[in-house]
Amino acid sequence: MMDAGRHPNIELLTYSEVEEVSGYIGKFEVKVRKKARYVNAELCTGCGLCQEKCPRKKIPSEFDEGLGNRSAIYIPFPQAIPRIPVVDAEHCTYFLKQKCRVCEKLCPAEAIDFEQEDETLELEVGAIIVATGFAQFDAKSSPQYNYGRSPDIIDGLQFERMSSATGPTEGEIITSKGVPPKRVAVVHCVGARDEYSNAYCSRVCCMYALKHAHLVRDKTDAEVYEFYMDIRAAGKGYEEFYERVQAEEVYFVRGRGAEVTVLEDGQLMVLAEDTIMGRPVSAKVDMVILDAGMVPYSDAGQVASTFGIGRSEDGFFLEAHPKLRPVDTNTDGIFLGGACQAPRDVPDTVAHASAAAAQCLSLLSRGVVTISPTVAVVDEELCSGCQVCIALCPYSAISFVSHNGTGVVKVNEALCKGCGTCVAACPAGAIEARHFTDRQIYAEIEGLLRGLRLEAEEARV
Amino acid sequence: MSEETSKIGVYVCECGINIGAVVDVPEVVRFAAELPSVAVAREYKYVCSEPGQDMIERDIEELGINRVVVASCTPRMHEPTFQQAVAEAGLNPYCLQMTNIREHVSWISKDEKAATEKAKRLVHAAVARVAFHEPLESRTEEVTPATLVVGGGIAGIQAALTIADGGYQVYLVEREPTIGGHMAQLDKTFPTLDCST
Repeated sequence: MMDAGRHPNIELLTYSEVEEVSGYIGKFEVKVRKKARYVNAELCTGCGLCQEKCPRKKIPSEFDEGLGNRSAIYIPFPQAIPRIPVVDAEHCTYFLKQKCRVCEKLCPAEAIDFEQEDETLELEVGAIIVATGFAQFDAKSSPQYNYGRSPDIIDGLQFERMSSATGPTEGEIITSKGVPPKRVAVVHCVGARDEYSNAYCSRVCCMYALKHAHLVRDKTDAEVYEFYMDIRAAGKGYEEFYERVQAEEVYFVRGRGAEVTVLEDGQLMVLAEDTIMGRPVSAKVDMVILDAGMVPYSDAGQVASTFGIGRSEDGFFLEAHPKLRPVDTNTDGIFLGGACQAPRDVPDTVAHASAAAAQCLSLLSRGVVTISPTVAVVDEELCSGCQVCIALCPYSAISFVSHNGTGVVKVNEALCKGCGTCVAACPAGAIEARHFTDRQIYAEIEGLLRGLRLEAEEARV
Repeated sequence: MSEETSKIGVYVCECGINIGAVVDVPEVVRFAAELPSVAVAREYKYVCSEPGQDMIERDIEELGINRVVVASCTPRMHEPTFQQAVAEAGLNPYCLQMTNIREHVSWISKDEKAATEKAKRLVHAAVARVAFHEPLESRTEEVTPATLVVGGGIAGIQAALTIADGGYQVYLVEREPTIGGHMAQLDKTFPTLDCST
């Protein structure tokens, strides 16, 4: 993180979103909206006085997954890069009631700027890597676990924050009563390998669930019950880690956690079928960790359409070929890195993103792209300018060029894939696909059928 | 170019037993040799191999072949291979036509007679088509030496650093106020339990 923030060749654009992408491989034009932070990044020293003095402090922290609070002006976590706070306009007293501005008065650098507006930047790049990541499955979507009904039913990321030294409990694992738990249940496959939520295996959860069991055993005296279907520990050093956790006296129950109920005394009951013993089992615990699977972000569809890339059935972004082109997309020059393409853990994410970077470096160091000549060409004499083709082109490669009130269409050869849709649709027959001309195709059909004709003639004789 | 001026070489691949066990390759070659404008028709065990490519290049140089038909696997597999081979012998790479007698014929049929008949038809079609192929030239365009990385999690950071270390400009866009993504939220990471931030 630190290296990325300091690298002379990296321009960080945080709190920013890509709004529009046009162009083609080697020459993309990108519009990025830099959202107003209401803090002047040039002046801010990152001292943190503003968030300390902000009177609105009871806003659930997104970074701490709602386990802790933040103020309305905030730096998400101590090691944030850049260390520049942002004003959350939805919760800031000034934006809600037009008064306060305490931070502005107290800022020693005079960096607070309530007049700041969103800014649109235009960038030109040769290649794009989409590395937008994943969302954790929302355990509320599997109601049998009663997530949200008890503060002691937490999900995987909440546990991570609880266990982290920078988290709301400074790394102490405690129940809502403020004491270490005596019995903890870790539930695998929440929102994964489940026909009612996600059919696929998220690959990552087994290992992080094992890690959670280890951390509980390491930091508390609690008994840990691990409810699993299978342990999928394929990876370098993973099986060894599983063995290590087994040796830490964790109780492994082979069976999906079927239900979590909140008892009257606030205790939690986990029900499951132990498929080794062949009987239903239950465990009364005081903390449940729901280790959920990975899903695409809810706005993945919008991101896909912004970049002109596809998605697979599970909603993750689609690679050009599952084996041979795992980081390419069907749009040349746009690559995928990490868990936006499929659920993957940290080592695999780093490898996948490195591969995407290698593809980009190969393209950039080559310096030129070869544009295939097998594209559509417009006969300007015949084109009536009706523009039927423009809406049909799946690659947005056709544009209208008008002059003196009339006009013709033009094909951008770098964007055209030679699919032939426009050729077939043109009412004037003004578009031809190079290498797929009518003459070539008719000759091919003729060749295919000539034998048939001979057979038919023979039959007649 | 037309049927009159073209001098076509046809190369039918056995692909080991992939094609050869179902399609009667010598029969397809005999058939191809009789087609109009075909100057030479040959079979080979693996046309994509180096000796196979050499065979095509030699015919272009010695027999003056100016159009090439390869009947083998899908062009998705080896079209670039054969385009390069004909280009090395001085022919425009678009003077080549491939026809797929593996995925479209031998892999989907056990009927040797019907498969051979279909392979002949496909070869006939490719020969008829290739006579009308025009030489085409590819263009090149310059690449803007900068990359946009969208997402500042571990994947985006890793990609950005790799490219930036290579000496190229990177724009790293992150929608949250800080980079780090989910990775920054994690306590320790398996299996080595090292720190994540």
